[in-house]
Amino acid sequence: MRIALQDLVSIHPALRGHPIEFTKSGGFALQRAGHASPASAEIEHDGALKTAEVEWTMEDIALLNVLDKHRVTEDGAEAVALAYVNSDAGWKVKRRLQRGECADWLLRNETGWLALEVSGTIVGNPRARLEEKKTQVSRCSLAVDRLAVVVAFDKPAVLAARP
Amino acid sequence: MKENELRATTEDELDAFVSIAIRRAEILNDSGSASACEAWQEVLLYEERLAKITQPAEIAGGVARVGAVRAALASGQRGEAKRLATEYLAEELLPPERRAAINRAFDEDQDYLARRFPALARRGRLAELDLWRSEALAPPRVFPWAWAV
Repeated sequence: MRIALQDLVSIHPALRGHPIEFTKSGGFALQRAGHASPASAEIEHDGALKTAEVEWTMEDIALLNVLDKHRVTEDGAEAVALAYVNSDAGWKVKRRLQRGECADWLLRNETGWLALEVSGTIVGNPRARLEEKKTQVSRCSLAVDRLAVVVAFDKPAVLAARP
Repeated sequence: MKENELRATTEDELDAFVSIAIRRAEILNDSGSASACEAWQEVLLYEERLAKITQPAEIAGGVARVGAVRAALASGQRGEAKRLATEYLAEELLPPERRAAINRAFDEDQDYLARRFPALARRGRLAELDLWRSEALAPPRVFPWAWAV
C-alpha cells in the first residue's frame, strides 16, 4: 500500500483551496519524529496487520520552530488518515463536520458514506487514544459507516478501527 | 458575500467553504476570541444554503440542517436557531436521528455555555450571553463573507 501525502489534494478535490496545508503538516509531523520520505509504516485496521510506504515532499524542518506543535500533529494526522482511507477503500472527502457530529470528516465512495474521526500521537501508546476515538465516533448519530484513525508519528503507524 | 453570489455557488464549492469556515470558527472558539461569533455566522450562511439545495433525507442534507442550527446557536442567535429548527423539523422526510440531533443541539449548547461560564450558570444568567454574543456580531466585522447582502 502507498500513502502519498503529496497527492492528497488531487485525490480529495474538496481540499483544493483549503488554507490548511495538510500535506506539509503531514511531512512536518513525520520529519519531526525523525522519519524521511519514503517511510515504512505499520497499519493495523480492525486487527488486520499490513505495511505501507508513506511518501511526502521533504520540508524544511526549521519552520517547525514557528509552528504550533499541537496543530502540526492534528493536521498531520488528518493528512495521513485522509490519504490512508482513500488508498484503503477509495473514500473521498465530502466536507468537514462540526464537533457536535462526533467526527471530523464526512467522506463518500461508490458504496456509501463514512464519518471519520482522526487523532495523532507524538509519542506513547496510541491504542488508548484509539479507544477514546472509537468511543467518540460511536456517538456519531449519522446513518453512515464510522471509523476512528490514530496516527502514531513516532513509529510511524496507522491504527484504524470501527466502533 | 452577495446574495446572488451565494445562490450561484455550487454544492461542492459550499462544501469546501463550510469546511474551511468550521475549522476557523472552532479555532477561534477554542482560543476564546470574540470573533468566534462572527466566524460561526459565516458557517451558518453556508450551512443554511447547503440545507436549501439538498434534500432532507440525504446524508448531506441532514448534516447541513443540523449544522445550520448548531452554527446559529454557536453564533449566539438562539432565535434564529429556533426558527431554523422549526423549519427543518417540519420537513416530513427528515430522518428521525436528524430530528433528535436538532433537538439535542439546544441542550448541548446550554451544557457548553454552562461549562464555559460556570459563574453565570450558577446564577441562572446564561441568557445574558445571547445579548453579549449578538453585540459581538455588530460592526466592525472581521469576516466580510459571513454576511449575505
